[in-house]
Amino acid sequence: MPDEYTALVEALQNTNIPFSEYGWKTRPENTYGVVGLDMEAGSLAGSEGKQDRAFDVKVDVFFRKLADMAEIAGAVEAALSSCLGACWELNSIQYETETRLFHFEWIGQVTGTITAPEPDPPAAEAQDGEG
Amino acid sequence: MPYTMKTDGLEDVEKLLTTLGDKAGAVASAGLYEGAGVMADEIQRQVNAIRTEEFRYTVFGQRSPSPEEKAALQSVGAGIAKFDKNGGEVDTSVGFSNAGYAEVNGKRKPIPQIANAINSGTSFMKAQPFFRKAVHSGQRKAVEAIGRGIEDKVEALIKENGG
Repeated sequence: MPDEYTALVEALQNTNIPFSEYGWKTRPENTYGVVGLDMEAGSLAGSEGKQDRAFDVKVDVFFRKLADMAEIAGAVEAALSSCLGACWELNSIQYETETRLFHFEWIGQVTGTITAPEPDPPAAEAQDGEG
Repeated sequence: MPYTMKTDGLEDVEKLLTTLGDKAGAVASAGLYEGAGVMADEIQRQVNAIRTEEFRYTVFGQRSPSPEEKAALQSVGAGIAKFDKNGGEVDTSVGFSNAGYAEVNGKRKPIPQIANAINSGTSFMKAQPFFRKAVHSGQRKAVEAIGRGIEDKVEALIKENGG
């Protein structure tokens, strides 16, 4: 996974907001967050392949109390700034009248690949019968 | 031995450049109009691709928009805002702002709110970021269209000036 994304997930999970990657199976209590790679934002092709890729990262936070807004937004934006620099924006703020939840949505961009890291080479076999 | 060079048409070029200076706003507007049209079409294409479902009750984070919600966006289409001209700079925006209201499940709802809820998702509806998809896929086409629009307008101005 892109290093910036992995770092962002870790930073968000270190905040006071319960964060899940890609979604929750059951609705948490009042405040919760969801983070995940969303789609390819752009790529640079060359030598019959994609050389550089950028992905959109979506960070959603739902909370109920208006008084919590500054603290929640501050914590998420501090994590975004420390991991993505300036490559993020607050894409939308919504209030759901049905559930009475505030919904903040941030979109950021990370570069890298989503391929699995190369496995570590096998350790050299111990040489027997010597010494 | 000195060489001499003779060129024709420099006066015409000078005249054209002067004309373009005066009409920079019109040239930029012509280009932007083409680009905004391409982006509006791309948004409409993505709106048509929104998944919908009939539902009786909402499951946490699960449901898709209703057919009525999709139809509300399809009925108005993405609009192009009035061009904001400032000398040679021209700005506009494409989207659902000021798109009015639609009747959804017996309730009157603002269309921009419906678009925002589908695009960003809610606590009970999966996000379908049709707008961002349109921007990603339409950006290059829009830039190309802006270039074509500018070229066409410049050519038209050259013809007007007898070039």
